[in-house]
Amino acid sequence: MSEHSESVTITIDDVEHSVPVGALLIKAAEDVGTYIPRFCWHPRMKSVGMCRMCLVEVETPRGKILTTACTTLVADGLSVETESDVAVKAQEGVLEFLLINHPLDCPICDKGGECPLQDQTLAYGPGESRFVEPKRRFEKPMEISDLVLLDRERCILCARCTRFSEEISGDPLIEFAERGNVTQVLTFPDEPFASYFSGNTVEICPVGALTAKPYRFRARPWDLESVESVSLVDSFGSKISIQSSQNEVVRINGVDNETTNHGWLSDKDRFIFEAVHSTHRLRTPLIKEGGDFREAGWNEALDLISDRLGGFSGVEVAGLGGARSTNEEAYIFGKFLRTVVATPHIDAQLGDGLDSQFLVGATPRAEIADLEKAATILLWGPDLKEELPVLYLRVRRAATELGASLIVLHPRRTGLDDVADHSFTYRPGRGPDILRKLIAGEGEYAAAREDLASGPVVAIVGRSGLAEGPRLAEAVAAFARDLPGGKILPIVRRGNVLGALDMGLSPTLLPGRAALASTSAKVELERLWGPLPDAIGRTSRGILEGLADETIKAVFLLGSDPARDFVDPALARQALGNAKFVVSFDLFISDSSHYADVVLPVEGFAEVEGTVTNIEGRVQKVNRMVPGPGQSRPSWAVLDDLSRRLGTDLGATSAESISKEISAVAPAYRGISWDLLDWGQGREGVLVPLSESDQPLQYVPVDPGLRTVSVAGMSLHLGRVLYDDGVLTRMSPSLAALMPTAAVYIHPRDARALNLEEEQHVEVITGTGYADLAVAFDDSLARRTVYLPANLPETAMVGSSLEVTLKPIEDFGEES
Amino acid sequence: MSRLAEWSRNARLRANEVLSAYPDRRSAVMPLLYIAALERGSVDEGAQRDVAELTGLTAAQVQSVASFYTMYKRHGVGEYLVSVCTSISCFLLGADDVLGAIIDETSTPDGETSEDNVFSIEHVECIGSCGGAPAVQVNYELVEGITEEKARELCRWLYGSRPKIVLSDEMQQLFGGTCSFDWGPAEESGAISAVPSLEAYGSAGRESQQP
Amino acid sequence: MTSILTARMNEYPRDSHELATYEATGGYTILRKALAEMSPEAVVEEVRASSLKGRGGANFPTGVKWGFLPPLYPRYLVINADESEPGTFKDRQLLERDPHQLIEGIALSAYGLEVNHAFIYVRGEYPKSARRIERALAEARGEGYLGKDILGSGYDLEITLHLGAGAYICGEETAMLNSIEGKRGEPRIKPPFPAVEGLYSKPTIVNNVETISNVPWIIANGGLNYAAIGPEASAGTRMFSLSGHVKRPGNYEIIMGMTWRDFIYDLGGGIRDERALKCWIPGGASAPWFIPDLHLDVPVTIDDTATHGSMLGSGAVIVMDETTNVVAAAHRIVRFFSHESCGLCTPCREGTTWLENVLLRILSGQGRSIDMDLLLDISDNISPGLKWPPAQTTICPLGPSSVSPITSIMAYFRAEVEEMIASQEAIIV
Ligand SMILES: Cc1cc2nc3c(=O)[nH]c(=O)nc-3n(C[C@H](O)[C@H](O)[C@H](O)COP(=O)(O)O)c2cc1C
Ligand code: SF4
Ligand code: FES
Repeated sequence: MSEHSESVTITIDDVEHSVPVGALLIKAAEDVGTYIPRFCWHPRMKSVGMCRMCLVEVETPRGKILTTACTTLVADGLSVETESDVAVKAQEGVLEFLLINHPLDCPICDKGGECPLQDQTLAYGPGESRFVEPKRRFEKPMEISDLVLLDRERCILCARCTRFSEEISGDPLIEFAERGNVTQVLTFPDEPFASYFSGNTVEICPVGALTAKPYRFRARPWDLESVESVSLVDSFGSKISIQSSQNEVVRINGVDNETTNHGWLSDKDRFIFEAVHSTHRLRTPLIKEGGDFREAGWNEALDLISDRLGGFSGVEVAGLGGARSTNEEAYIFGKFLRTVVATPHIDAQLGDGLDSQFLVGATPRAEIADLEKAATILLWGPDLKEELPVLYLRVRRAATELGASLIVLHPRRTGLDDVADHSFTYRPGRGPDILRKLIAGEGEYAAAREDLASGPVVAIVGRSGLAEGPRLAEAVAAFARDLPGGKILPIVRRGNVLGALDMGLSPTLLPGRAALASTSAKVELERLWGPLPDAIGRTSRGILEGLADETIKAVFLLGSDPARDFVDPALARQALGNAKFVVSFDLFISDSSHYADVVLPVEGFAEVEGTVTNIEGRVQKVNRMVPGPGQSRPSWAVLDDLSRRLGTDLGATSAESISKEISAVAPAYRGISWDLLDWGQGREGVLVPLSESDQPLQYVPVDPGLRTVSVAGMSLHLGRVLYDDGVLTRMSPSLAALMPTAAVYIHPRDARALNLEEEQHVEVITGTGYADLAVAFDDSLARRTVYLPANLPETAMVGSSLEVTLKPIEDFGEES
Repeated sequence: MSRLAEWSRNARLRANEVLSAYPDRRSAVMPLLYIAALERGSVDEGAQRDVAELTGLTAAQVQSVASFYTMYKRHGVGEYLVSVCTSISCFLLGADDVLGAIIDETSTPDGETSEDNVFSIEHVECIGSCGGAPAVQVNYELVEGITEEKARELCRWLYGSRPKIVLSDEMQQLFGGTCSFDWGPAEESGAISAVPSLEAYGSAGRESQQP
Repeated sequence: MTSILTARMNEYPRDSHELATYEATGGYTILRKALAEMSPEAVVEEVRASSLKGRGGANFPTGVKWGFLPPLYPRYLVINADESEPGTFKDRQLLERDPHQLIEGIALSAYGLEVNHAFIYVRGEYPKSARRIERALAEARGEGYLGKDILGSGYDLEITLHLGAGAYICGEETAMLNSIEGKRGEPRIKPPFPAVEGLYSKPTIVNNVETISNVPWIIANGGLNYAAIGPEASAGTRMFSLSGHVKRPGNYEIIMGMTWRDFIYDLGGGIRDERALKCWIPGGASAPWFIPDLHLDVPVTIDDTATHGSMLGSGAVIVMDETTNVVAAAHRIVRFFSHESCGLCTPCREGTTWLENVLLRILSGQGRSIDMDLLLDISDNISPGLKWPPAQTTICPLGPSSVSPITSIMAYFRAEVEEMIASQEAIIV
């Protein structure tokens, strides 16, 4: 919304108001305190004026007419009566019409207590029914997907669900069917409402017609307590409301805000709460004895750690993780490692992201909101629908509603290709060559190149797949920054990765987006922290290699699971197996904590309080709704405890005290306080840096001069899917059930050339791993490319390499 | 594999023509539903899926459109779809009795298909033949000015002679009465099924093709 | 009597639909002349001057509507041949008996409106009309009256025949546009009006078959000559479809201005079996009814009918004699609107069905005395104030159309309704 929007004067119920020009009457009236009842209107969707609940009387040259406030734009001199006899009679009439066929089963309806139909019936409805005919009947709730149930008798046909699916999420699997009085919402018989965004329809359904299985009958709305927070499922920073009943999180809803999610969530954001109360949550510290874990008390566990640490020099210890923690936890982790342990080996990324300086410092930086103004969007990175689904919604909106030209480059068709103006598939490894052609506007790239000449351009860059390496994104960014109004949004997926890097969890960064290489920053930090290690730190790969070759002996894992998540899981497993001492802070026994000597139960999402920083650098507050299970504690408190045992005081008395320290220590975080975020202007988050000139680390992307890699056989595209085998998904039963079965995807014509048939089993061999998978055809794939969905149970050990070989299993059998 | 491989070559050609007649693929949904109905025998789930594939819509979107319009018969119909207008003008002139006679004669309730799959009987709203009320359509081919007795005869005739192509003028001559207006010369085209008979949909029967 | 639209079919009852007949009677010479000698603006100007009003039901001046087009391209012209208003069958005759007259009308109009792609939306239940149009389009293309570079003028026009599939609501112009776009035939919220944002969101003119069939005559003879026919605000000839209990039902092309008495008794030959006239509907099922005591001497013009609280609508006159059970007749009409409601907006979806069910209950002998007020109040919640022209709580006029029979029987036959309810006798079970 423009800051200096003009206003017009309208009269609502005989009172004059000044309202913004171009506003919808229903919204303008609400903003000045007149609530006009409504069902179908939703502020994030186009007006359809269907339910007719918002009828008001408007003065026209031909006299007063009844019209819907949700389809009327304010104009100077508009005069409206929302409570005239005629308006009220019309509204009451509509309500009566909606109720005649409604089952009125409020006592057993999930929506009871927060149902606009119920509320408005109390407020405007007739006392008793004049309707003596039989009500419309439908078969009771239908399961329209694994997550959603539909009760057509309760439906008031507002079309919010169908419009959301068509207009916003772009998967119109739920639609009106039939017509007239038997109109109903329906899916196709054998095509479930399998949308990554289906939960939004449950949230916006004004009645209890759509309900979510994970929430159904869990609580009554009036029993719920709620707190605003931020989703940590990915790095987008969606604002959520965490709702609990009797100290148990039972629901997550989206919170509308201008800056990030517009109120929408992915189903993963929404239903991940099941993991919070999983019976698999760790409740006490565990100590490994004779190969098995046994429960232990905190004192024993921490004593053991401080004891064992005495046996290593600082540089023999490393830390991995922090990308799923709060900024406060990450900061303390870094401070602990750098000052107490005195090691420079720290990394929050697991080889699957981007260069950390590029990620935090690339300029000029795009905000998510820049998508609203973009003329052209260049998306060269992951399939957003799979990796950052709510960012996908924002880009989709820009392309479909706001007229931006969208250019997508990816090894196969992505969720956005449908709405893209130009989309290209390419073989992994050939990226540099494709980029050169795009820059030159050669051949098929000419039209896209032309669109890139109209700005503002937002370039969203990241790794298309895990096999392709991180540097291409920098080359794309280097090109994009020089385009008219060019801004860059580098993206990675994991929860608070940017926050962790901002807290210095990288071998090259200090807290506050300062480069370790910057002498002044280092001097300044040493003034506050004391001396820092001189040695050059290693990245996660370096750390794991160090563990493998025993130059590094001990490792702290802060909520990180390299055995699963590191790009080369075989190396990670070998490293952890070889390590002399492994300490894991975790919610669950993950694949990596199996290797730990001590596992410490920590509080996590919905339990900890603190701040996080999303992918555009927006700092937001996460809040505590419930206590963690058993003896679990916040990791910062554990680290503080441990540091005191080691003779140093980290001075972390509370998460808020840490936050204050961060704003004092970290240049980019100056001025950010919890007060500001909770109550002040920072309720929609505060962007760090606030402006280009405040950006402490100015990283100007440069083309790293990559050459196209020629792969002799097939190239591998290892891409993430939304419901992968991450531990939180696995621990949320509703989501775990949605995990797809992995297959090896190949273009049908390549398959023919290789004599492979659909569903045939093959051995997939990469440079670092293998998998046994069935063949599936995908004609949207670039030729001579094999696509594997990453991190599914069957592909967990594949690892990434550019080249891949497929061997029919029969051949293999014959050879052996 | 494409579902359309099961379609006749002709139907695929017609589908392509229809698709190219509009500035937008989605626009072809309605004509394609007719073509699919002819290929699959009804606008059943299979036909709706076919059209989804042709237009790039989801099956739910196609279902949404198909179920809106009464002429897309999703559950199949018999050889002869007999539609009796019972809207106001026909009602005033005895349409309910005509419907009753037809139900009785074919032993087929309103809205249903006879067991031998010969007749589907339905009452319909105004079919634009009010001047020739009461009016009946067989596979959308019209008879005007019909009576109870003539309606029974019409059913018996359909049952007995099983015309492959239903011709409006022939029926009018045999069973009809007052017309809404002078129909002019007889048409040689008629219907071969309960899909409106139109060249573009491959459903325009010709008398000359009659055996 | 002047006949414009039906002249050819009256004169050549065997082959008025043939291209040869059409050409032999001067067909397509007007198009040739217009393309060669007239600017598009000049064509539009003649139509404006003719005072032609839309024959689809709303009587909106065609030239005025054409003037709403913004200077944006492409534009579309859509011909409304969805004729489904109960009682109406005039367009069917024009489609079947003189398809080339319509096609030439479309070509002229499209040229005037600078349209290169027009659509004819024929209702699905009119396969014969569609076949005649289909054939005529092929013939016209074959002769170069359609297609690229028409008659060497450089002007291109393609006409696509779109067949409906059974939905009255698609006669409503914006529902029709949705239907052509391959969507459910649900009306759109106006504004924007189709002229500004219509088919594929482009400027679009929707006109009725009869409206456009007048255009060749108007261009050939001049708009002012057309305007000179008939009473001032009801210029030109007009097709009426007469049905019900009259001796001579059928389509009549007349000059407006005669009285309803002359219309029913002279043109229609009076009531069958010499029975008494009970009431009639002057303009299709949507229109409020007229009764002999009040309305026989009202002139058949757009304005006079409106002054007396009804409309000429689609030109469908449905006559009911003394034997008619008005509750049953009203039920039939309400049932139609309930069946044809698209279901999009609440008052129409729920209200029409509720009205239907209450009437059905009365007919089945289970009426309650409060039902009369209930019927009126439900009606009032669909069409507030129960006035004419109707107000509406609905998106489009379909819902309020269902109210006309209710207000009519309550206004003129309340005692009869009361009696029926009291008798508790089942008419329909
Ligand atoms: C419910 C409804 C049904 C309609 N049905 C028809 C119809 O069958 N034929 C028609 O020409 N106009 C019909 N109309 C009117 C059209 O919306 C539109 O006004 C007309 O096609 C414009 O053409 P005209 O200006 O030439 O009359 C209908 C309107 C409504 C509201
Ligand atoms: S299911 Fe809910 S959201 Fe969807 S149309 Fe019905 S009431 Fe509206
Ligand atoms: S809120 Fe305005 S019509 Fe539904």
